[in-house]
Amino acid sequence: MIEVKSLEKIYGDRTVINKVSVTFEKGKVVALVGPSGGGKSTLLRCINGLEDFQGGTIQVGDDVLYPGGYERNKAALLRIRQRVGMVFQTWNLFAHRTAVGNIIEAPVHVKGLSVEAATKRARELLERVGLSHRVGAYPHEMSGGEQQRVAIARALAMDPAALLLDEPTSALDPERVGEVLDVMKNLANDGLTMLVVTHEMKFARDVSHRTLVLHGGAIIEDGPSHDVIENPKHERTKAFLGHAR
Amino acid sequence: MTHPITLSPVRLLAVLVTFAVALLSCQGPPPAPPMVPARDGGGAPADARREDGSLRRVRAAGVLRWGGDIQGGAPYVYEDPAQAGRNKGFEVDLANALARELGVRAEFVQNDWSALVPSLERGTFDIILNGLEVTRPRVGRLRFSRPYYVFGARLMARRDNPRVRADLGALHGMRIGTLTNSFSEELLKSHPEINIVGYEGTEEPYTDCVAGRNDGVLLDDIIANIYGVPKPELRVVGDLSDGFYSIASRPADEDLAQALDRALGRIIETGELERILRAENIYNDRQLGLRTWGEVEQQRMLGLSAPAAGQSGPPGAPPGAAGASNAPRRMSASQVVMFFKGAGVTLLLSILAMALAIPLGLGLAVARLYGPKPLAAIAGAYVELYRGTPVLLQLYVLYYGLATYVRLDAVTAAILGLGMNYAAYEAEVYRAGIQGVPKGQMEAALSLGMTTPLALRRVVLPQAFRMALPSVTNDFIALLKDSSLVSVITVVELTKRMTIVAVDNRSYVLPGLLCAGLYFAMSYPLSIFARRLEEKLARS
Repeated sequence: MIEVKSLEKIYGDRTVINKVSVTFEKGKVVALVGPSGGGKSTLLRCINGLEDFQGGTIQVGDDVLYPGGYERNKAALLRIRQRVGMVFQTWNLFAHRTAVGNIIEAPVHVKGLSVEAATKRARELLERVGLSHRVGAYPHEMSGGEQQRVAIARALAMDPAALLLDEPTSALDPERVGEVLDVMKNLANDGLTMLVVTHEMKFARDVSHRTLVLHGGAIIEDGPSHDVIENPKHERTKAFLGHAR
Repeated sequence: MTHPITLSPVRLLAVLVTFAVALLSCQGPPPAPPMVPARDGGGAPADARREDGSLRRVRAAGVLRWGGDIQGGAPYVYEDPAQAGRNKGFEVDLANALARELGVRAEFVQNDWSALVPSLERGTFDIILNGLEVTRPRVGRLRFSRPYYVFGARLMARRDNPRVRADLGALHGMRIGTLTNSFSEELLKSHPEINIVGYEGTEEPYTDCVAGRNDGVLLDDIIANIYGVPKPELRVVGDLSDGFYSIASRPADEDLAQALDRALGRIIETGELERILRAENIYNDRQLGLRTWGEVEQQRMLGLSAPAAGQSGPPGAPPGAAGASNAPRRMSASQVVMFFKGAGVTLLLSILAMALAIPLGLGLAVARLYGPKPLAAIAGAYVELYRGTPVLLQLYVLYYGLATYVRLDAVTAAILGLGMNYAAYEAEVYRAGIQGVPKGQMEAALSLGMTTPLALRRVVLPQAFRMALPSVTNDFIALLKDSSLVSVITVVELTKRMTIVAVDNRSYVLPGLLCAGLYFAMSYPLSIFARRLEEKLARS
């Protein structure tokens, strides 16, 4: 359902993504791993248009993105963003809204749902991420783990066909990581398509169906998660995993 | 106030300085009514008065320092266009003649016109010789010599407005322009039914008359001839009363004042004054009385004796002076009511100007940060232009400069002018606020499918505004005070009301305190509010 073709991303004279082509299938959870600076997050951000790119195309469903950023791709971009949710490393909850306020914002103002309907759905989603007791809490009143779970609920409220998660647990205190991973595991079990940039190798191995290793802007290894992580082929992957474990 | 001036941002500052000086040197007991000097050189007055040393001081210095303002000063004293740096004008010639009579040299001291009196009081120069009219409030404060020029208070109106007639009674209900604190203003004040529009400059009342923003203009004939008569749309209605220009000195310098009276007498007798006036083409039959000027005329001019029956006609005492004491008056209840009205005008102006500045500033900030290049450039230029030039200048341009194209009434121009100026400052406050919102907020909003405008409106701006709110409140407090600038375009707000009452009552103390108190009462609650907001923001 997401098809990346010869994607090229250049920052000044540095090539961050070097002609990457990859297809992500519906209902699958894919882990993107690799050393920092390998291009994982950038790839994710290109897919929902938070980053412009210099070459290639990205197709999500029937919509295709070309180089040229917001100006050129406006219509496709807005449709893609409504279909592909994003969860950030630093969660980025709207600081002036409560948990429910954060969740209903886009359904009400982008999809045109009534506040009542959106609020009802928001409460269900908060329950799903285990936060029914935090409905009226403001972001600064919540722990990082709680905020990240609200951020996931916020993304789910748009009923996305796929969810992009950009290092969702990296900024959390170690004892808070588990609660977020549990939520992600449940989503995977429910059959949601997910692309997860992560350093949690255990999550990648046990939950994701497929693992991509990115290094120097290229995919150096791609296969079923268990195989890639337990039995890497590429020297770089071996070094990286040995280091990471 | 008889001095032709044109555009002057400095002038208002000077008014405020005048106020400050006056407040500091707040005259306690009123100065004694000036002694009426004995006329004619001859026998020294038979008073046993002790010498005050003022004449000796001037003679010892060898210089008679006289204060005036060359800005727009023709034909009084002005810079010679042919020889920059050299002054000419009938008062230059008169000052030289007076100094010669005293055996000294004349030295001109440039001083903003509206601040001449406090500058004299603090000793910047020895005398004022600059079209200073003999008016009731000034008589209480200054020692006036015998006059050196008799002018007529000349009424002008549009040719297409036949309702304006040369009779104060006929002007009831009309808007009549004049200079603040002038003889003509005093004259108009004797009829409370006339709506006086007070100006700070001499060109503006006539421009406004042409534009229909006032019904007529009453000012000294010299000024009318230069600024009003050349306008083809206007006509001279007639002269309402005679007034006088005299040399003003400090009441304590009686020796000097008497010597100047004698010197002026000689200059008049020999016909020298007539020659001086003729050189500037301002000599006329009105001046004939100067030759036979005596004590009776002087008393009447100063308003110290009852005016002749029939009054109000020439030769006129200062209007409304009949037997009035020159002691500072108490504030009347109606004046206090006017103060509160002035405060209301200030508050209303500030609120409406801010109501304009906030959305406009927001638009500018958003255009600058998110707009397409040309729009961002325009917004940037707007901000720099309005921040980089004085708001006084902007008000002048808006009200007078554009009068040919858009005819705004004074209050509208004041709100627009202040609002557009403050929008530039608000734009910068919001820009800082918007930039202070973490980038992730915008990204999160976009990733949910919001368009940039929607993300701005729903996510970024509410947070930016919250951050900017303390600064906005502080700006509003500043605006409350800056709104006093609009008196230059004839709006009477709190500060203007204060100076009007202070001049009427000949004391700045009570009006000044009341004015300050009202400003404080408006701004203090706001500053507490701003501080609370800041604390609240610091907590979250």
